[in-house]
Amino acid sequence: MQSIILAAESVTRTFPSGAGGGMTVTAIANLSLEVREGEFLCLLGASGCGKTTMINMFAGFIQPTSGRVLLRGEPITKIEPRCGMLFQSYALLPWKTVRGNVEFGLKMKGVGQRERRDIAQRFIEMVKLKGFEDYYPSELSGGMQQRVTLARILAADPEVLLMDEPFAALDAMTRQIMQEELLRLQEKSGKTIVFITHNIDEALVLADRIAILSARPGRIKTIIENDLPRPRHVEVQLTASYTELKARVWACVEDEVMKHMESSQLAAAG
Amino acid sequence: MPRYLLLNILGIAVLVGGWALVTETGWISALFLPSPSMVANEARKLLASGDLWIAILASSRRVFLGFLLATLVAVPLGIVIGVWKPAKAFMDPLISLLRPLPSITWIPMTMLWLGIGEGQKIAIVFLGSWIYILLYTVESTKRVDPLLVRAARNLGASEFAIMREVILPGSLPGILAGLKVTLAISWSCVLSAEMVAANNGLGALIWIAKDWGNLALVMVGMVCISLTVLAADLVATRLERLLLPWERNRRL
Repeated sequence: MQSIILAAESVTRTFPSGAGGGMTVTAIANLSLEVREGEFLCLLGASGCGKTTMINMFAGFIQPTSGRVLLRGEPITKIEPRCGMLFQSYALLPWKTVRGNVEFGLKMKGVGQRERRDIAQRFIEMVKLKGFEDYYPSELSGGMQQRVTLARILAADPEVLLMDEPFAALDAMTRQIMQEELLRLQEKSGKTIVFITHNIDEALVLADRIAILSARPGRIKTIIENDLPRPRHVEVQLTASYTELKARVWACVEDEVMKHMESSQLAAAG
Repeated sequence: MPRYLLLNILGIAVLVGGWALVTETGWISALFLPSPSMVANEARKLLASGDLWIAILASSRRVFLGFLLATLVAVPLGIVIGVWKPAKAFMDPLISLLRPLPSITWIPMTMLWLGIGEGQKIAIVFLGSWIYILLYTVESTKRVDPLLVRAARNLGASEFAIMREVILPGSLPGILAGLKVTLAISWSCVLSAEMVAANNGLGALIWIAKDWGNLALVMVGMVCISLTVLAADLVATRLERLLLPWERNRRL
């Protein structure tokens, strides 16, 4: 039985509404979730269902309004480097080279210069960016920048990897390659990954379990086990079991998407 | 590039040409505006005696030291104020009171405290410059992408590490731009200080020339000031390129 590494216990999170006057928006209501150690968990849902809010709480960027978020049973009360975050917009330090960025987490831990360099080099090569160590982020393509952020967070060696739609900004072909690389890395390292996406195909290719979020206010609607065989390549998308699973997932997601669209239409109509 | 160079030269040529024209023909009297040749003559005399270089170096040294001191004080202070709210609350009223005071108003007090030597001149440059460097620095820290701060925190950075690794490099382009602007202010500080009480330097040169009624010499001083500040600006741009290697492909 796998241990639970990350957990959300009846988490609710509200924000002051843009309309003002003490009105609040409930992004997440009573969400409970357990993340097993070593698994690849996808949070799937339409925009605005609270996925980013939830992952930000796992990282300690924001606190729940009520309920608790726990890492190995301990409440997360401030920014938690043990839950490393991979941002959608890369957040690479523009004034540091690829090497400088990848070494950053190690530098913050106080790792010595030579050791840092060696460790960072390993991860740079792991994401297939050998030869680009002295390049600045502005000199790299989007896909390469995303690989640098991946190397950076892996080098920092957190216990959990949180990923907020990291491949959303990439073109479909690069995204496919990145997905395969991510799977390969996860299998090698055995790290726990919580991955946000609104793309069903991405969830099916990557996840061990898919947690489907309801429309706002977000809560876990269903968790679907994904037992498509590993290792998973793009070809898995052509199998019958894939299509079946996809239909199941879509059935769950469909009315949440409709609800979301209706509520945004209502909001727009004022 | 060559296209603009031509326009550059043309611009200067028109100015000097026009100036020569109105003065050599006597249309404007030499008492009001010395001709280029008169100015060149005075310059030649001063260059020959070495006095011109002494003046340039004297003023430059004062500016450099005062400006450096102001930078060393104002940049770290600006970063702390930009990042740490209590520091901002503490300093804001002080800054508001000190900012409107031009460096000239500090001359009487600095003369009392420091006499009329080098120290006083450097103090004037410092007092006239540090606040602007501070304000530019604070402003620049606000332009740093908060997502980068978040990412750094997520990678385990302490508050101090954030200032050193994120805020400082992130605001550096803005700080350097502010330094370039403030350098010109520093120059005007030193010149006013020298005009009041100094026996060397470009400001003193101009003032003494005025007392002698030597307008051509005054203009020599003015031209030297322009060229020296221009040279300083070029050095500053070079330095900027050195300090901001990650912008290397953005610059031409």
